[in-house]
Amino acid sequence: MKIVTYIFIATLILLSVFTYVFVDVNIVYLKSLYTGYYLTHRLLLTLFYGILISVLFGCFYFYIKNADKFKGSLKKIIILVILVTILSYPGALTFDIFNYIITAKVAFFYQENPYIIYPIEFINDPNLLFTRAANKTALYGPFWILVSAIPYFAGLGNFVLTLFSFKIFIALFYVATVYLINKLDKNAVIFFALNPLVIIETLVSGHNDIAMIFFALSAFCLFFKKRYGLSTLTFMASIFIKFATLFLVPIFIAMAKDRIVGKKINQEKAFMYSSLFMFFVFLLSPFREELYPWYATWFIVFTSFLYKNKFLQNLVLVFTFGLMLRYIPYMGTGSYFGITPLFRNLLMLTPVLIFLIYSWLRTLFQRS
Amino acid sequence: MIFHIDKNAKKLKVEMKSLIWVYLLVFVVLKCLPSNAFAESSYVLPYPSAMPGSIFYRLNLIREEILRYWYFGDFGGFHFNLKQSDKYLVEAKTLFDYKQYLLAHKALQKSDKYFGKIYPNLLSAKNNGKNISEKKKVLKRAAQKHIEELVKIKDDAPATFNWTPEKEKPTTLNIWESIDKSIKLRQKRL
Repeated sequence: MKIVTYIFIATLILLSVFTYVFVDVNIVYLKSLYTGYYLTHRLLLTLFYGILISVLFGCFYFYIKNADKFKGSLKKIIILVILVTILSYPGALTFDIFNYIITAKVAFFYQENPYIIYPIEFINDPNLLFTRAANKTALYGPFWILVSAIPYFAGLGNFVLTLFSFKIFIALFYVATVYLINKLDKNAVIFFALNPLVIIETLVSGHNDIAMIFFALSAFCLFFKKRYGLSTLTFMASIFIKFATLFLVPIFIAMAKDRIVGKKINQEKAFMYSSLFMFFVFLLSPFREELYPWYATWFIVFTSFLYKNKFLQNLVLVFTFGLMLRYIPYMGTGSYFGITPLFRNLLMLTPVLIFLIYSWLRTLFQRS
Repeated sequence: MIFHIDKNAKKLKVEMKSLIWVYLLVFVVLKCLPSNAFAESSYVLPYPSAMPGSIFYRLNLIREEILRYWYFGDFGGFHFNLKQSDKYLVEAKTLFDYKQYLLAHKALQKSDKYFGKIYPNLLSAKNNGKNISEKKKVLKRAAQKHIEELVKIKDDAPATFNWTPEKEKPTTLNIWESIDKSIKLRQKRL
């Protein structure tokens, strides 16, 4: 059993080192780490990424298959996962963390309203060289901008320190979310905490979706404990981080109705509907921009409580694997256009289709 | 004599015909050539919003007060004051067109008030270490456009206007004087 953990952690270490291959030439603060390999060795890197992701998901499948055997060492595994990924370079797959930093800079350094002033208006700001959404006003909710003051000021004006302050800040939300899941249902922890998509998108790329998830889950916890005022506040905090959890309002209304009528709240049912609703919002995301892999954390967290439904969890596992493959076409071609959009969708859906056909055939054989 | 007149008339007719042809030719040539019908300044002013007297105008005034706080910061103040100055200039222009001189005069004064606040915002931004070179260009273009519009307004507006409200003393509005003052204010930013 230990060998799986060794492979899992070793692969994460390799992934963390691998991320530094993607250091942008324009990040002057990390100039000494720039290799340019992501421009010259595209295919090799894509192949390496594919192998790393496959190994991670293979280990993850093993973890959830043998969840009972890992319960004792889960805490240690999670700590190791955080330790080996926290120092990875967050701009390998996405660049959102740079947006968080520049938005915080507009608000707290330049003391301007990030909802009306574009970062690009601050001519000569060194962050403009590598921030991709510098021509957009703040993309996140006001509560996120407010709390982003903590990692921003913790960075003491040093870019590298700020970058890793943001990563640590995000990692704290990951830890807090895992703690909450553990409090609600110990059996649900593995599916969320060790999911490679959650690890990569949260601990490596540093997406703030985990903060939104943490506050939404806190709202559920507090509601179950009948602390409705605090529950409402934390739910509002979640909405004002990234708005997606607004779609959970009907769940809270339904739970409130049950409480008023005197019915016992069915937690599993609440999480099942939350998972469905968040999956629905996830599917709507291409209408706004596109189907980003890290949006999957919105429903993974609620799916983790539905461990009795093995088929559903396996389906989500396979789908998250497909989502992580979406990075491959851009990594291989360096273009967002041409065949990239088609290949992205093909790579995402192929594992799901294979799994569905396999499940169907298995059922057929079992019947016969 | 009759013959002489006829001859002259015929000559005149031919000359007229040739002139018409020349005019037509010039017209066609001019139409075919790329024309410069654009305003001198590339700066674009907004559409006129609600006008005084409308319920929406009052709501807009409330919105304006709220927005003042939303647009905090030096660049925020720059954007807010420029937006308001543009809006009131357009309002003044529309009201001048409708010969609502008193209201137009008031709107022009408001536009001036906001325009006057723009440069201090930029100075404050500069003192705070922000690069204001692009903002200065925007302000220059805005000033040019405002002057263009003010000159047009002045061409159509009377020099003075006597406004006699009911049961009150009449007031004389020095419209040209006000417009000149507005132009001078903007000329400082060219």
